[in-house]
Amino acid sequence: VRAPRVGGVTPGKHPVRLRIDDDLCRSRLTVLFRLLLVLPHLVWLLGWTFVAQVAAFANWVAVVITGETPAVFHGFLASYVRYTTHVNAYLFLAANPFPGFRGAPGYPVDVELPPPGRQSRWSAGFRLVLAVPAALLASALGTLGGPGGVVTVAAIGSWFAALALGRSPRGLRDLTAYGLGYTAQTLAYLLVITARYPDSHPDRLLDRAAPHHPVRLRLEDELRRSRLTVFFRPLLVFPHLLWLTLWGPFALLATVANWFAALAIARSPRPLHRFLGAYVRYTSHVYAYATLVGNPFPGFTGRESGYPVAILVDPPARQRRLVTLFRLPLALPIIVLSGVLWWLLILVGVFGLVAALVSGRMPAGLRASGAVVIRYGAQVTAYWSILTDRYPDSTPMVRTERAE
Amino acid sequence: MTLPRLLRATALAVVAAVWIMTATLLWRATRVPDDLSLPHLDVRDYFTADELRRAERFERFLRIEFLLSQLALVGALAFWAWRGPRYVRESAAGRLGTGMLLGMLGLAVGWLSQLPFRLSEVWWERRYGILRTGYADALLNDWLALGGEFLAICLTLLIVMGLAGRFPRYWWLPATPFFVAVAALFIFTYPYLADTHRLQNRQLRADARAIAHEEGLGDVPVEVEKVSDETSAPNAEAAGFGPSRRVILWDTLLEFPDDEVRVVLAHEFGHLSRKHLPKALVWYTLFALPGAYLIAVATRRRGGMANPAAVPWSLLVVVVLGLVALPFENAISRHIEAEADWVALETTRDPGAAERLFRRFTRVALEQPDPPQWVALVTANHPTVEDRIAMVVAWRGRHRNRDGRDGTARFGKVYSPPVRRDS
Repeated sequence: VRAPRVGGVTPGKHPVRLRIDDDLCRSRLTVLFRLLLVLPHLVWLLGWTFVAQVAAFANWVAVVITGETPAVFHGFLASYVRYTTHVNAYLFLAANPFPGFRGAPGYPVDVELPPPGRQSRWSAGFRLVLAVPAALLASALGTLGGPGGVVTVAAIGSWFAALALGRSPRGLRDLTAYGLGYTAQTLAYLLVITARYPDSHPDRLLDRAAPHHPVRLRLEDELRRSRLTVFFRPLLVFPHLLWLTLWGPFALLATVANWFAALAIARSPRPLHRFLGAYVRYTSHVYAYATLVGNPFPGFTGRESGYPVAILVDPPARQRRLVTLFRLPLALPIIVLSGVLWWLLILVGVFGLVAALVSGRMPAGLRASGAVVIRYGAQVTAYWSILTDRYPDSTPMVRTERAE
Repeated sequence: MTLPRLLRATALAVVAAVWIMTATLLWRATRVPDDLSLPHLDVRDYFTADELRRAERFERFLRIEFLLSQLALVGALAFWAWRGPRYVRESAAGRLGTGMLLGMLGLAVGWLSQLPFRLSEVWWERRYGILRTGYADALLNDWLALGGEFLAICLTLLIVMGLAGRFPRYWWLPATPFFVAVAALFIFTYPYLADTHRLQNRQLRADARAIAHEEGLGDVPVEVEKVSDETSAPNAEAAGFGPSRRVILWDTLLEFPDDEVRVVLAHEFGHLSRKHLPKALVWYTLFALPGAYLIAVATRRRGGMANPAAVPWSLLVVVVLGLVALPFENAISRHIEAEADWVALETTRDPGAAERLFRRFTRVALEQPDPPQWVALVTANHPTVEDRIAMVVAWRGRHRNRDGRDGTARFGKVYSPPVRRDS
């Protein structure tokens, strides 16, 4: 029986999983000096990386010849992957305690790795080539080959928040953890610890759910893609981009009007809320279609129902005037993060295009990571256009907690 | 015959009569002198055997390629008319949006069917030094142009399907003025959208001004479009309405001697002075009205144009109608171009330059001077080089009879008779 692939998560856990046991509390002092405190670990990691490269080559040769990872290499390389994750979690503020130097299990942001097992010789033989797409995604999302844009921006946000509040925002922590988890899967694949291809589906990588938010994602899209519409997707989206451009100035005017109205009556007037809500939905539909996160050609009106990558916007609710007054400066950090996540969405679109042309399907992981970026973009737009005063949540999960 | 049928037949007869009358008037409004008869020429008097052979070989390939590509296009669109409606499930966009998607995909299928022909055309033109771009550039340009076509078909289907939803049987009547308005808007705005720069050559600029005044035009700008990175072929066009009208020369044309460029300028100003663009718009209206009617009739059995599933079929109908109309459209175009040639001769009074220019079209752009009759009738939108030279000879004869000499160039140097080559 084939696993259901519509909307949800395909069963079958990835053998490399991230475990989070972090309480979000941060020591302000260690946060302030985090970049300096991590220096010994970076030096140690550099040396370890050199040895790991040699071990990885030996492991690769062994797997290509015997079809199995020798236990000695597996243990060493697994510790290396764990240690890399610990150090990066510490550096990018996804965890608080100073990590150990041996990569031993038990750190609050930790990686579970599979025991040694049989692997396909062919897959191992071409591992470097096969890993290229995942490596590119991991370098944008996580820390492979250096700090990627997403974790860096998330870490900067966490740094300021942790200094001010003594806590790391959950959304930023989870976003960083997602990047680290994907990097760990990619490393494990590259080092021939496992034959399973990295899976970017956030719900499969981290066992959590996004908190309830007035602007939510409902993902009902099937993974099937028509190769014809995929091949011409960049051009098919032209009319929508033109229409979106025409819509833009009106949305801006409506936002200004909404800002004044929300300052006066502490809520968004219903007609403006309806218009801007449609704009937020339409923008999301277009981006979903352009990047293959959604399959069907979207309508031009941003209807609430009818599109399988749907953005749901709650009705107008009371908004705090002070938050409304300072909305633009408050929105600046999330606009920056949203801009960085855009690159991830572009990668999703490019890889999705190639994958869908070859297989006629969109990989579930790519589709899910694209969908959460689109949701975050919708929340950011809703925030600065005064549809809601709830700050966008960057938790990269498709699954959402129920409203309380 | 029942009364409604009688009324319909009468209305159809009246419309047909008005159509024929307008077309006749329009045809007669565009003319070279009535009594001008073109002499028969032997092209071997004007071109070497090598030149004729090279041009003939070059064009024969393109003719075969054209025929095959049209067959492939019709085949691809027939396939799309059959399979396309299934793609309704790829849309969540409602009636209009789904129609747009099917229209765009239809163009995409057509584009795919043309891909091998386009590549072979690029190969052939590169081989003869006409095209200077690489395969990747040519394909990328085509790909981007397809994006423009997507936007155009979306607008067209928005008009057609919007009206068909409201007037299922008679949408073609209000749609035609829309199409004409869009075409007029395109003609008006095109000069502003073209990537051009001002003509640098002062002498030519002064000559252009003088020629424009001679033809009863005010100051009409002459712009240059840089295409020499892409092609060696020469070309020029008259563009725009009212304040946007101008003449656009390809920079490849500026490599020609100035007296020949002056003939080109006079030809293009001739299009403007004889109001060829507004007349072309009226011709377009005359073809668009019955064309839209035939599309409406052809799609009725598939639910009419209000139904997105009828869009793939309508694309096939449009292409077939376009192929049927092609000889007529080309005949009109040749008629208009012949008049512009005549105006150029009358304005410049430099038949030598005109003859050298037309001969150069064969040498540089490899235009076959005397293509087979069916090619001239079906695919040529300009008079053949042979006919153009024949007009020069006729003009010279007429003026020799009148003045007792060949004529004096009105702009630039005095005319000297060409040296004929032996084949």
